[in-house]
Amino acid sequence: MDEQKQARIDPTSPDPPTPLGRWLEHNRTPRRLELWRRAMFAALGLIVLVSLFATNAHPHFGADRYPFFWPAFGLLFGLGLVLFVKKIAQPLIKRPEDYYGDL
Amino acid sequence: MATSDLFIHPSLAFIAAALILPFMPGKNGVWRKILLLLPPLIAIYAAFANAPGAYMKVAWLGQTLILGRVDSMSAIFVQVFSVMSLGGFIFALHVDDRPQQAAALLYVAGGLGCVLAGDYLTLFAFWELMALGSTFLVMLGRTRETVLAAFRYFLYHVLGGLFLLGGLVIRHRYTGSFEFGPIAAAGAGYYDWLILLGFCVNAAVVPLHAWLPDAYPRGTVSGSVFMCAYTTKTAVYVLMRGFAGWEILAAAGAVMAVYGVFYASMENNARRILSYHIVSQVGYMVAGIGVGTAMTINGAAAHAYAHILYKGLLFMTAGAVLYSAGTARLNELGGLAGRLPYVMILYMAAALSISGLPLFNGFISKTMTIAGAAEAHRTLVAAALEIAAVGTFISVGLKLPYFAFWGGKPLDMKRELKPIPANMYVAMAFLAALCLAQGLWPEMLYRFLPFPMEGTAVSPWLTAEQLRGLAAEDIVVYHPWALWNVLQALMLLGFSGLAFYLTRRVIVPHAGLNLDFDWFYRLTGRGVLGFVCRPAAFIDGFWTNVYQTAGLRLLKLSAMIAVFWDRWIIDGLVDNAAYGVRGLGRAGALLQNGRLQHYLGLMVVAISLILALVWYF
Repeated sequence: MDEQKQARIDPTSPDPPTPLGRWLEHNRTPRRLELWRRAMFAALGLIVLVSLFATNAHPHFGADRYPFFWPAFGLLFGLGLVLFVKKIAQPLIKRPEDYYGDL
Repeated sequence: MATSDLFIHPSLAFIAAALILPFMPGKNGVWRKILLLLPPLIAIYAAFANAPGAYMKVAWLGQTLILGRVDSMSAIFVQVFSVMSLGGFIFALHVDDRPQQAAALLYVAGGLGCVLAGDYLTLFAFWELMALGSTFLVMLGRTRETVLAAFRYFLYHVLGGLFLLGGLVIRHRYTGSFEFGPIAAAGAGYYDWLILLGFCVNAAVVPLHAWLPDAYPRGTVSGSVFMCAYTTKTAVYVLMRGFAGWEILAAAGAVMAVYGVFYASMENNARRILSYHIVSQVGYMVAGIGVGTAMTINGAAAHAYAHILYKGLLFMTAGAVLYSAGTARLNELGGLAGRLPYVMILYMAAALSISGLPLFNGFISKTMTIAGAAEAHRTLVAAALEIAAVGTFISVGLKLPYFAFWGGKPLDMKRELKPIPANMYVAMAFLAALCLAQGLWPEMLYRFLPFPMEGTAVSPWLTAEQLRGLAAEDIVVYHPWALWNVLQALMLLGFSGLAFYLTRRVIVPHAGLNLDFDWFYRLTGRGVLGFVCRPAAFIDGFWTNVYQTAGLRLLKLSAMIAVFWDRWIIDGLVDNAAYGVRGLGRAGALLQNGRLQHYLGLMVVAISLILALVWYF
């Protein structure tokens, strides 16, 4: 693991990373990434858990008085947006970068 | 607030600095830096010191122009414009380019002048000053690409300005006044629609928006920081002033919010992603204005304030990456977090602000507009704004930083990074601190909103009809930090984040151009070329032929006659007179041989001739 890090951060570089930069890179090791991933899922779980005990005083859409409405809203519209944009819309309207010849 | 009647027009400070600038030769020294920072400081002072009222009334052509209208609505925009100008000029302090500095000064002066204008003529003058200044902020990139973009930008804004000019002139014919005040949607004349159209061009209302993602990514690094703040937000202000409660704006705003997010999700150029997000975020404001309750108008004003700060910061950080790494294309970036960690963190402060994450100012402004729309029972509008919030977090909050700073690539040690000047960091930290402070203490922003946050929404700029429409929402009460609001934001953003995590390999940006409405603009341009310019060029060419075959020969003939006249008549007269003088001179010279007896002899001959003549005649 240390060798891998050595290869990624060259100490003889004319422009070495700052301590903060080194810390950020340190968090990209596979073990650290796995930790972050788990932390993310734990945080999401915690948010949903807390939301079960809180009440929405002003439901605006009707369905948003039920738990899991906003998690589902974020996830579904997020997935839908990315898939629609990248799989359907962009293939139709994408052109070469210098399509208009003004680069 | 001061109570004195002294009024300081902030635009004058900027215009004065722009006029002094050409006379400050040499390098970008201390004095020039002081000159650049002075107007923003004066403007910030003026924003807090100017008391409400109408100032600088000028009588002109039988009209009274009002250059300084200060009330609760213009004051908040003057304040944020001034604060942003300080951030912008600190960011641009290292730029040794006087034309660019002058353009930025005039541009900011234009924006502030529009906000303080009390009549359409003053508004129009500052409106055009802004168009001019911003054109140069694009053009002074000084490459073929930026010059072409600047020309397209200018043409488009001239068109928008003409809508405004046409509208205000016709309006004057009908109403006899240039006064700039609220217009009721019912009974509005076609001239009001022309004015609205002119405003909508600058507000980047879809489908009139395509100038923005065309020009802003091509502006200079600091130029785009200025542009992202003023043009669209000035338009938001004038829409708020003139067209609050116009139904069509609510729909237009909702469309803008979602449309901008769609394009941002597929774009590759970081500054173009941010440009599409201006369209999206201005959509929130336009929707708030369209819904037209006190709460949504407050939300729109609050969002304009917050947006100027975090969007300025976004363009600063993206500009810093462009400045340092030499590109803003995400497919060419990645693996930079370790080398630009502070830029990354400052970027994230802005990205979380625009996403509306609790702690940052987007949270206290965006949610107010959405809640206001929902409370006015505009469910579809509110839903569109929530969907746009999801897309905003995915594209600006996650996609852009992920692919710019990480992108699954190892730390990029090979790329040569230009060191980022300290003043750029200072400016970024300044705006980031404001974004955070406003999020933590909403009162910092709320106390300047057009309507009092708790109380009756009576305002001098709403018409009676609009006020009646407000009845149910007269009391504006909004507490952003209520537990449910925080939870709702965390749920929405947390699970949008999960959606990004699941699709991070789908959303990978690639080099390319995504067709937008500018395809139609360019088609119109080509149409004008085809139907106007080309025929004109043909007629011109034909005329040239006629001229060359017939006209040129006539010209030659007339030239020959002129030559003859000149050589034989004019020259002949002059020359022969000269020849005569020369001949006489020679004869005289021959006679003057210095011999006294010859002179005496000649004298005798001459006297004899004269005597003979006298005797005979």
